[in-house]
Amino acid sequence: MNPLATFNTLIDSPAWPTLQLGLHGLFFLALLYLLKRLFDLRRTAVLKGLPKPKSIAGGLVVVLVLGSAFGAVLAYQATWQLTGMTRPDFIAFMQTYDRRQFNPAHRIARGRIADRKGQILAYSKEIDGRVQRVYPYGPAFAHVIGYQDPTFGATGLEGSANAHLNGSAPADLRAWRDLGQQVITQREPRGQDLVLTLDAGLQRQAFAALDGHAGAVVMLRPADGALRVLASAPAFDPNRLSADLFQRGDTQARLLNRALQGRYPPGSTFKLVVAAEGLAAGQTGPLRCEANGYTTSARYPLIRDHEYYSARRSGMTWQGHGSLSLSRALAESCNVFFAKLGVQLGHERFARTLDNFLFWRTIPLHSSEYGSLTMTTGEAPRIAGSDQYGLAQAAIGQGRMLMTPAHLALIAGAIANDGVAVKPRLVAGEEPEGLARMMPADQARQLQRMMRKVVSEGTARGIDMPGLAIAGKTGTAQNSDGAPHSWFVGYAPADRRAPEQTLAIVVLVEQGGYGSAAAAPLARDMLLQAQKQGLLP
Amino acid sequence: MSAAGVMTWQESWAARAPERHWLGLCIFAVSVGFLLIFGAQRSVDRLIEVRDLLPLALYVPSLVLVHLTLVLARFRGDQLLVAAVALLSGLGVLMHYRLGAFSVGSLSEAARQYALYPVCMGAMLMTALAAMRGRYRYLAVWPWLWAVISIGLLAALVVTGQRFRGAIYAAGFLTPSEFLKLSAVLFLAAFIAARAGALTAWHHGILPPVKALLPLAAVWGLLCALLLWQRDLGMFAILNLVLLLLLTMGTGRIGYLLLGVTAAAGGALVLLRFFSHGARRVDAWLNPFGDPTGASWQLLQGLSGMYSGGLWGQGFGAGNPEYIPIAASDFVYAVVGEELGFFGSVLVVLFFLLLFQRGFAIALRCRGVFARLLALGLTAVLAVQTFLNLGGVTKLIPLTGLTLPFISQGGSSLLASLIAVGLLLAISDGEPKGRGRTKRRKA
Repeated sequence: MNPLATFNTLIDSPAWPTLQLGLHGLFFLALLYLLKRLFDLRRTAVLKGLPKPKSIAGGLVVVLVLGSAFGAVLAYQATWQLTGMTRPDFIAFMQTYDRRQFNPAHRIARGRIADRKGQILAYSKEIDGRVQRVYPYGPAFAHVIGYQDPTFGATGLEGSANAHLNGSAPADLRAWRDLGQQVITQREPRGQDLVLTLDAGLQRQAFAALDGHAGAVVMLRPADGALRVLASAPAFDPNRLSADLFQRGDTQARLLNRALQGRYPPGSTFKLVVAAEGLAAGQTGPLRCEANGYTTSARYPLIRDHEYYSARRSGMTWQGHGSLSLSRALAESCNVFFAKLGVQLGHERFARTLDNFLFWRTIPLHSSEYGSLTMTTGEAPRIAGSDQYGLAQAAIGQGRMLMTPAHLALIAGAIANDGVAVKPRLVAGEEPEGLARMMPADQARQLQRMMRKVVSEGTARGIDMPGLAIAGKTGTAQNSDGAPHSWFVGYAPADRRAPEQTLAIVVLVEQGGYGSAAAAPLARDMLLQAQKQGLLP
Repeated sequence: MSAAGVMTWQESWAARAPERHWLGLCIFAVSVGFLLIFGAQRSVDRLIEVRDLLPLALYVPSLVLVHLTLVLARFRGDQLLVAAVALLSGLGVLMHYRLGAFSVGSLSEAARQYALYPVCMGAMLMTALAAMRGRYRYLAVWPWLWAVISIGLLAALVVTGQRFRGAIYAAGFLTPSEFLKLSAVLFLAAFIAARAGALTAWHHGILPPVKALLPLAAVWGLLCALLLWQRDLGMFAILNLVLLLLLTMGTGRIGYLLLGVTAAAGGALVLLRFFSHGARRVDAWLNPFGDPTGASWQLLQGLSGMYSGGLWGQGFGAGNPEYIPIAASDFVYAVVGEELGFFGSVLVVLFFLLLFQRGFAIALRCRGVFARLLALGLTAVLAVQTFLNLGGVTKLIPLTGLTLPFISQGGSSLLASLIAVGLLLAISDGEPKGRGRTKRRKA
């Protein structure tokens, strides 16, 4: 009989795992027995060729030095190999980047992520001895919650709350004691759950309403910054990540969190900022708004209102708005008025206002030692002191002005909150944190009345209805890629002043056309649904 | 104690019975290890063939040959050293096989790999036999020969070497700097033994004897400059530590140690400032999670492997060392930790400690200054290298890119380490009486 063939069959037999375990033990026993015999027989194998040592002091020093040096190595090794779970970033590293199937770090019962009502948005399930992350609502939360995957890493809250979720960042003494027990019993700490401020129902509605369009919806409570909706489309399914998602040149940019990081021309929504600036300077009009448009120099094209173009398309001549007050101009979203106002206010005031409104910032929504989920705010061109036309263009949100939906939500929230911007936050129970006062309270109240007018009698009157007083501003942002982006920025209710019962909302639909056509109705539906759920009076 | 000359081979056979016993246990343990690896490899892709038995088939006769030759040569030297080295290098063969060193191409293409172990054990045996009966003292005759060889080795490396992972490695089979461990220690031992008197004479007990140190400083400065030029910080650290140890032990002047520690502290600051290679490694060491997928990837993958190994390990062949970059050479200890667990790591470290303890014990019992310094230096090189490797892989200290003696893959490392053990064995055989006394008078 061929012994090799026998051995090969033996390895394939079901008895092999047991046998392997036995051989593993036998190997250790063999080494231990060898050590014992080395010790037993050391006297019979004395060095006959060398003289006896004069003292044992040298030998002692040698044993001491060697023992402490290599003892230190082994002791330190044990802090990784045996008690590694007390190192949060190490556990996070292994869960994210270690592909070993049997690494205990993968079997850690990672905490669940729930919305404000306890609906589970992410949990872990063991499949074939390996824990897998499950996201019940798939793409709807893909950007904000992110994913945690051994191949592709961790993003979103899964990334920034990694240590909390895998239980290696005990919050209090009791958690430390539990961790200690787990260390002794199973080497697998149990993770902690994470409860968010998001509302699963509203988030799913927002994602569904975007319906294949690229865009973003942000809804937050201005009083304390609690985010209710943070939706971004197109998204991906975090349950089924594939490599092509990560290839450069994904034309849809499915990984981009448009709500927090997507930069878009704000269009007319930026007029809110200019209006606040005008109020601060005491310049509330009236200004004469020529039907034919306005420019700073004959060399540049005229800045006109959209009514001019629609009239021309139908073969008629538009009569123009005539003289407008700030309030009226905002309601009608008059480009000529705001271009003129911007130029009047001047470069210096413009730059100062942008800084007041927190341009060029990165604001963390949730952060831990091991990462953070951040939003970026807008960026505006540095306009040269001699460039009046650039100022006129920037004042109507065109030119190279770019803003993120989250930034506009922060501004809408600040207006509703009498001027104070509160840091948006995602994790329930975190302390609200004021960011900046964007404008004095009385100006904020004036702006509130103007925004209500936009909906009651201005460009957004299409969404006005008896049950809920919405205040807002539409935006139609020209861009080089095709149809304009559709914006709506606002809050509700506008009539009662109960800060806890107010919600600010921003809707962006990429290439959705007029703000009043795509974004505003979507925002209205969202606010009505929030009202139905009791979030609004 | 009978005189060396009258010992018969039967007496020698009886005297070396413990060695026989120990080597038999080594063979048993290593065979069990091979069975485990066979099992793991089979389940992955292929049948176990006759060729797979070859590494074990070469290991066993190598040990038998070593033992029989030592008996026939009436070798009186250490037996425990032989056993410890046999086990550690046996683990090395297991690791080479497990990490696929033997599975490259056809049998003839891998012939060099198969031949490596018997050749290196043969080299150890030859060194021991050639240098036994006190003949190693001829090595002390020309200290400058070793200085020239050391510098030549490094200079050859500068000319032929290629840059790889931030340091220069020679192309092909041999890494000359591994042999520097031998030649530099031989130079130091011979030089200090010959000038022990002058080196001991400190002025007023506080100023070192500059004139006597000058030739040493010249050679050493050149050596260090070449090592730094090649960014071989690991070897630089080893050799300087050994220099201090030998100067202090050769002269009994603790001042050398103090002087060295001061210089080392200053030198370390300067070096880290000017060597981005070293500074990067220190960064990756202090803050591994700052760049987990870049500079610290290898270190963290190694630690992850050990973590998944836990206390008892995954079993030989059952781990995933393929996730650790260059696991076969620098990071072989991470594979030991993963597959044999913390328990296995402790056992492996114990065998290393046994070897070093024995080496130092031999050194402390030598009467001749050269023999003592040589044994001390060779053991210290192995011990420091092992410490730097293990400490680096476990993140206790920054990575130095050194191999683990006897276990890491790499022919030069194994050959140089086994030749060092061969010299230690020769020294442990002692010096013949009579002639030795006249020699020792000089020292």
